[in-house]
Amino acid sequence: MTDHAHDHDHAHDHDHDRTVKPMVEEITDFEVLEIALRELCIEKGIFTAEEHRRFTEFAEQIGPTPAARLVARAWLDADFKALAIAEPMTASKEVGVDWLEPTGFGTPSDFTAFQILENTPTVHNVIVCALCSCYPRPILGNSPEWYRTPNYRSRLVRFPRQVLSEFGLYLGDDVEVRVQDSNQKHRFMVMPMRPEGTDGWTEDQLTEIVTRDSLIGVAVPKAGVTTNVIVDTRAAMHPVGE
Amino acid sequence: MSTAADRSRQLDLVARLKSAYPEIPDAPTPDQLDHDRFVAYMKPVHDVGGEPDLPMKYENKDYEYWEHMTYVLSEVLAWRGIWLSEERRRIGNVDVGRAIYHGLPYYGRWLWACARILVEKHHLGLTELTERMAEVQDRYAGGLAGKTLKAEPKSEGDGSGVKRNEHVVHAMGKGDPQVYAGKAGEAKFKVGDAVKVREIPVLFYTRTPEYVRGATGEIAAVAYESPAAEDETWDRPATPEWFYVVSFKQADLWHGYNGTTADTLRTEIPEHWLQAAN
Repeated sequence: MTDHAHDHDHAHDHDHDRTVKPMVEEITDFEVLEIALRELCIEKGIFTAEEHRRFTEFAEQIGPTPAARLVARAWLDADFKALAIAEPMTASKEVGVDWLEPTGFGTPSDFTAFQILENTPTVHNVIVCALCSCYPRPILGNSPEWYRTPNYRSRLVRFPRQVLSEFGLYLGDDVEVRVQDSNQKHRFMVMPMRPEGTDGWTEDQLTEIVTRDSLIGVAVPKAGVTTNVIVDTRAAMHPVGE
Repeated sequence: MSTAADRSRQLDLVARLKSAYPEIPDAPTPDQLDHDRFVAYMKPVHDVGGEPDLPMKYENKDYEYWEHMTYVLSEVLAWRGIWLSEERRRIGNVDVGRAIYHGLPYYGRWLWACARILVEKHHLGLTELTERMAEVQDRYAGGLAGKTLKAEPKSEGDGSGVKRNEHVVHAMGKGDPQVYAGKAGEAKFKVGDAVKVREIPVLFYTRTPEYVRGATGEIAAVAYESPAAEDETWDRPATPEWFYVVSFKQADLWHGYNGTTADTLRTEIPEHWLQAAN
């Protein structure tokens, strides 16, 4: 099997910038296995093609925007902020996310025990799943690749300030760095503090600066910054939609 | 078709793949293996918290089509009662063993786990699966050459004879862990209690990380009721217990912790892993 592309550094601001795709033609072992399994499952009625399609559509529409909007709304509305902390799944519904969907009992890997961790001037929360990569997908979308690496998972629990500094986040001695290792059924996101320079902003404007990385806790929102810290993106050989 | 030279080359490649302490012979006699190394070998491989490593370049990644389909496959299998999420995690994150854990792509292990559960629960035969894999390979022999990757099932089964778990019925409309609410009885600990993490033996699976065992923390929250992961991972009927969010001072967890004395870590631990600390 041919080597896949090496990653390149790009000085771009967008997560979707691609590296050059290689001319790989062969089907991979993983592609073979996935197709074989899917075919046999449908033939045996383990699930239907329709069920597979329905979940595929659900998986394709999740993303970080509802979570960002939830935070923006919490910044503007003290009652909503209190609701978000006390009843995070109720608050999720108000930004269009029903944690019981699409199955009626939740997305199996994400459970229905969502919690929001509020940052304060003296407490900075940062999230990891040291055992796998648990992540609040229904409201935040899929986790970034780096979040899933054994490297992030092994180091963040033990050297959090070091890892945060690699993301460009330096916190003073007067701030407690609180690592949340989401190792069981809870799923977490951070509610960062509202930054300076955002007086009079609308919910839409505030939503734009609540980045996915700030909801994990490896960044803090800043007026004028609408992108994540990590933007380099490794290309796929045979991506979705090709 | 492979030649004798190809087979020889592959044997050499496999022989280089090691996942054992190099200072001890393979398949050692019992007297050659000490307790610390026994514990190291038994440690569920997903438990990497605190294992030393160097900084690396973090990046995002576009999804391969097969990775996206693997995620969907995994969740649909759970949706349709073939497995619980905790079964998937054990198989794909622990049962694979250390070599595959570190050697395969993340979604490669998800896919491995899907195949494994279907074969283990007798939904598919291994011969049947491997024959179908060979058929798919033949279909794309000579390269993808503009063909799309797609599944071509020969029929649609009605699935009425498929054995499915009861979780998908019980949890409907409630969610998980809500489906277990009220089943664990009285919580033994309350917020603020000092607790110590027990050091009971670990075999095959746990979600209580090694880095907290023996450490003393404080109950930060009485979280929810659920069967312990050690039992849920085999979809074995087990009495739910209370789970707690426990807060630890980082300086207590890590020898030579290089942050501040105020820094903390919180993680979730089921009741049977905790004892009152005095």
